[in-house]
Amino acid sequence: MEDIMVKAENVSMRFNLGIDKGFSLKQGFVDLFNPEKRQQKKALNEFWALTDVSFEVKRGEVVGLIGSNGAGKSTLLKIVAGVLKPTKGGISSYGNICPMIELGAGFDMDLTARENIFLNGAVMGYSRAFIESKFDEIVDFSELHDFLEVPVRNFSSGMVARLAFSVATIVDPEILIVDEILSVGDLAFQAKSEEKMLSMIKGGTTVLYVSHSVESIKKLSDRVIWLDHGHVLACGNAEEICNNYVNHLLKQS
Amino acid sequence: MKFINSLNYSLKKYGFLMQQLVSRDFKVKYKRSVLGVAWSLLYPVLTMAVMAVIFSNVFKFTTPGVSYLAYLLTGLTYFNYFSEASNLSMSTVVANFSLINKVYIPKYIFPLTKCLFVGINFLLTLIPLYAVILLTGTGLCWQHVFLPYSFICLFMFTLGMGFFLATVAVFLRDMFYIYGIVLTLWTYLTPIMYDISIITNPILQFCLKLNPMYHYINFARTIILYHNTPTGFQFIVCGLSALVVLLVGTVVFKKNQDKFIYYI
Repeated sequence: MEDIMVKAENVSMRFNLGIDKGFSLKQGFVDLFNPEKRQQKKALNEFWALTDVSFEVKRGEVVGLIGSNGAGKSTLLKIVAGVLKPTKGGISSYGNICPMIELGAGFDMDLTARENIFLNGAVMGYSRAFIESKFDEIVDFSELHDFLEVPVRNFSSGMVARLAFSVATIVDPEILIVDEILSVGDLAFQAKSEEKMLSMIKGGTTVLYVSHSVESIKKLSDRVIWLDHGHVLACGNAEEICNNYVNHLLKQS
Repeated sequence: MKFINSLNYSLKKYGFLMQQLVSRDFKVKYKRSVLGVAWSLLYPVLTMAVMAVIFSNVFKFTTPGVSYLAYLLTGLTYFNYFSEASNLSMSTVVANFSLINKVYIPKYIFPLTKCLFVGINFLLTLIPLYAVILLTGTGLCWQHVFLPYSFICLFMFTLGMGFFLATVAVFLRDMFYIYGIVLTLWTYLTPIMYDISIITNPILQFCLKLNPMYHYINFARTIILYHNTPTGFQFIVCGLSALVVLLVGTVVFKKNQDKFIYYI
């Protein structure tokens, strides 16, 4: 039997859209006398980003997630990463997770690049010894040798992205979660980062991968899950589902 | 036992992160100032000097038998820790939204690091406090070994308040304003610049004594100013109030932490 690394069972996720407008003293008072309207409003504000999503990811498998904007792909990744707790259902993962959902979490613009490498590394869950041993590798990859002592506030956005990418991809996680971040920096760095991502994905780790590029999904994934408005439309062979997905999109337009 | 184990595990796992967050706070706070870390020392000294001048010369407050300056400073040192740490803890969950939204970090880390960070500042302000103790001729005594007990109580109390405030502030942003006013009121209701005996109404005095901050400060003053060993009652009141507040704060925080992400 193959090991299961990530297991999602009937995961549903509800968001409350009007949350910041929903409560003020005046509105609360007005609604108090109109319970019917209050119910209506509640239903209107609710939004199910995911409904009844179940899947399993086995060790070493690369699973791609496709779907149009707002289909719930990123929400799903965040749930797997533990950032969000599902409203219903449960998710379990076995092994350390490297969430590359958004880069540069915890960067402080006032600190230097060197300090940010340590801070960002700590946020990603690395140990001091690990960062110290990989420090040169990170700097080499980002090609920012001359700017180590410069506050990140003075960096260009491309430079920040390069630094963030280099820190994030330094680990060998058991479960890698990737949300389309291949394209950072200039052309040369894009090629380099893409290569790095490919080597990480192909390095035998378990991967959950979100991309809008059907080509790269087809190329990398063993299996594809197609999400649409929070539902799993199809799940299985990459080639087949990607083709269906593309046909579906063509039909729509 | 299980609790100790899990605590040990998370300390190991997140210890480095906490250390990084504390050192970031330090670096960011002083990075662009000329005097740098010296402000940690200078700022409390100067504010205390201002208070001391105003209250001893303008309002002519005195404390019979002991140096008013040492009296005032003991109270200020403790209360400043509480007000700064609880204020920072309150905003820290909201302020770190970008982190909470991107990676999984146990959220209790944010108030905890703030309380530790201000704690380091607190330890630094002990230097001017001891300088005043020596300069005013208040003198030292062996009972000073009990002082760390009051630090721990103060820390636990502040952390508990921090957890509670951080939770409330996520759901109710008005808390930032409300607490600012509460804190001002709290400062004056705590006998920092005056002695509690000037309140002659016994009911009012009893009410003031319900304030845990009074007990921590009083504990310190018993030792520093009067060279006495705090009574068993004092030990129990300080420890118990700190434990209860920490417990309540932690439970409130823990119960609500999964909902934070929808509100910030």
